[in-house]
Amino acid sequence: MADQRDRSRPWPRSSPRPGPRSWRRWWAHLRARHVLHAYLFIAPVLLLFGLFRVVPSVQTLIYSVYRVELLRGRFTFIGLENFRDLLADAAFRTGVVNTLIYVLTIVPVSAAFGLGLAVLFDQRLRFGELLKAVYFAPMVTSTAAAAMVWWWLYNPQFGLFNVLLRLVRVPDQPWLMSSHTALLSIIIFSVWKNLGYNMIIYLAGLQAIPASFHEAATIDGAGPVARFWRITLPLLAPTTTFLLIYNGILAFQVFDQVYVLTGGGPAGATNVVVLDLYRQAFERYRFGYAAAEATVLFVLILGVTVVQHLYSRRFEVAY
Amino acid sequence: MKRLAAFSAALAVLAVGAAVPSASWAQTKITLWYPAGDITAGASHFAEKDLWAEFEKKHNVKVEAVALDYETMQQKIFAAAAGKTIADILFIDNSWLPGFLKEEMVEPVADQKAKAWLAAVSPEIKELSDYGSGRMWGYPQYGIDIYGLTWNKDHFKEAGLDPEKPPKTWPEFREYAKKLTKRDAQGNITRVGYAIRHVGHPHGVVHKHFWALYGAGAALVDNPLALRGGKAAFNNAGGKAALQLVLDMLDTDKSTSLNFPDPRAAFLKGIASMQISETVSIHARQPKEAPELKWGLALPPVPKAGDKPVSLLGGWMYAVPKQAKNKALAWEAIEWINSPEKDFELCKKYDATPRYKVNWDKEPFKSDPYDQALKLIYPAGKNLPLNLGLNGVMDAMGGAIQKAWHHEATVDQALADAEQAANKAIADAAK
Repeated sequence: MADQRDRSRPWPRSSPRPGPRSWRRWWAHLRARHVLHAYLFIAPVLLLFGLFRVVPSVQTLIYSVYRVELLRGRFTFIGLENFRDLLADAAFRTGVVNTLIYVLTIVPVSAAFGLGLAVLFDQRLRFGELLKAVYFAPMVTSTAAAAMVWWWLYNPQFGLFNVLLRLVRVPDQPWLMSSHTALLSIIIFSVWKNLGYNMIIYLAGLQAIPASFHEAATIDGAGPVARFWRITLPLLAPTTTFLLIYNGILAFQVFDQVYVLTGGGPAGATNVVVLDLYRQAFERYRFGYAAAEATVLFVLILGVTVVQHLYSRRFEVAY
Repeated sequence: MKRLAAFSAALAVLAVGAAVPSASWAQTKITLWYPAGDITAGASHFAEKDLWAEFEKKHNVKVEAVALDYETMQQKIFAAAAGKTIADILFIDNSWLPGFLKEEMVEPVADQKAKAWLAAVSPEIKELSDYGSGRMWGYPQYGIDIYGLTWNKDHFKEAGLDPEKPPKTWPEFREYAKKLTKRDAQGNITRVGYAIRHVGHPHGVVHKHFWALYGAGAALVDNPLALRGGKAAFNNAGGKAALQLVLDMLDTDKSTSLNFPDPRAAFLKGIASMQISETVSIHARQPKEAPELKWGLALPPVPKAGDKPVSLLGGWMYAVPKQAKNKALAWEAIEWINSPEKDFELCKKYDATPRYKVNWDKEPFKSDPYDQALKLIYPAGKNLPLNLGLNGVMDAMGGAIQKAWHHEATVDQALADAEQAANKAIADAAK
């Protein structure tokens, strides 16, 4: 009988929602099913999450409609003025455009390269484990430290990249020094940084695909390319969905590499939303305005994630 | 009776035991936050263990100096102020002051104390201390930072220039830079005559071109001491000339390049013959990074003979936050560490320039060639404006410099756009 009940409800489906009289029964039921214990176990995490995630997020939403003078304790309600100012702010608009370019580039490119490497390492390679560790190393390196090294690699006069280009007779590139190439340079750095993570997740996805699928296809005469497009890629759809959403959310919040490599320049060419938000809050002390930027970013991330999720569900398969 | 005696003795022991820690708890502790590392020469002494010993003994206090990471220091200070857990004394970058004043975060120096200080210190320190009508928000560090022209004497000799005579005017400066530039067989520049800062944080870009902007008669804002309001004052003939100077060196003279690293690094590596930046930084880094380098120090050049040179004066200052728990003691500690005696002692020990007029008449400052070279530059020193919108103005100006030098806009267009953005920042900050 118990198994037929809806497990998400702490009281039986047949019985009405507990009234004052049935509280004792409901309490006994909670205890009997260990629901209470479960809540007690997750309570510390819920508390910390609420305190450090939910409360600041709600506070940010509230601040976005105020002019905030934090230390004076003066909060002036200004309605949508911060959002109106954002629309007229050229630096913010550049930040949004640059962030979107960054997201739309880095997410698919990182995933594609990660998949390529994962397919490669799924074979038995000599020094495969060592190479996997090498590719994964950037992921566990501090972004700021790695960016400092890349700053020198990108130096047009003395950097390694231009030295390599000169060897193949390609003209020197200005990399971080030009508005035309600075954002691309940051994207290349970020792809390098994220590659290992994408590779590992795809590798796990590949290894979860039953070998019998490939064996059956081989018997039916499918070649390696056909097997990849018809079996591997569709069966990796859940992994791809996860990576697109996860990488997308992180990419929208890009900050460290931009801060270290270009500081948003040259001439605002690499300004991104989080950098702009940071400057408004901690250099200009415009907390309400920065909160409005954070709110816009939140809505952007939420919107893109929902669309991504709905769209990718069309390709989900089960095995 | 024996039991009573034993019980009394135990009580006495307990009482003494309790009294010892309570005596140490009674001692007040004041905290000081300063930037960690080599950010400023004026913070070197904070790492000294016994720095405050005399003061601590006299006032029965404990002074605890805490080093903070420079990159996040401003945010930490702000967050701590909001959480009312801030230090009693802050050693802060001058450029942070407008933001802190916007939030009414720092205490002013008492009028009488300010008056006495301004009368006793040399003019450049007065320029750094006085925020209008004798108003002070803190005490500037010793060894203040001023931007100066530094040149490589060996490169000068090699190019047939007098190693003891730096360029004084812009035409001379351009001529010298051309002669000093070196190229390889393919014509690529391997050494620039003058190294420029054109990337990174826009504030850094403005700092290193401040001498040309102000030297040519431009300014960041029209009223440097007004906290609110005012207008950007760089979209004029002076501002245009200052941006054009480097543009001509890039395009016509080809004596500088966008492909070289930070001017100080380039200078110390021997791939730049001249650069204009923080003199304190070159003085501190040269013995470690380029021990063989022979260099000179002088005022930045002026547009034409007879013009008044201008150079950026900056540094850090001791301030007391409004949220400090021990304000009176904090001010006493600041006055003690900034007394003429301590100024002399610390400057001598850390090879820095003093602030008090009286100390300049003493050795080693009186005859030290580096200190004396600085003394000649100091009168040209100008502090950054106090405007609440300063950060936005600097962002705009830095962007204009980058756009013009990177050929992404004409000088006129870059300055016009920057003026608009700067005026908006000033208006926004004044709300």
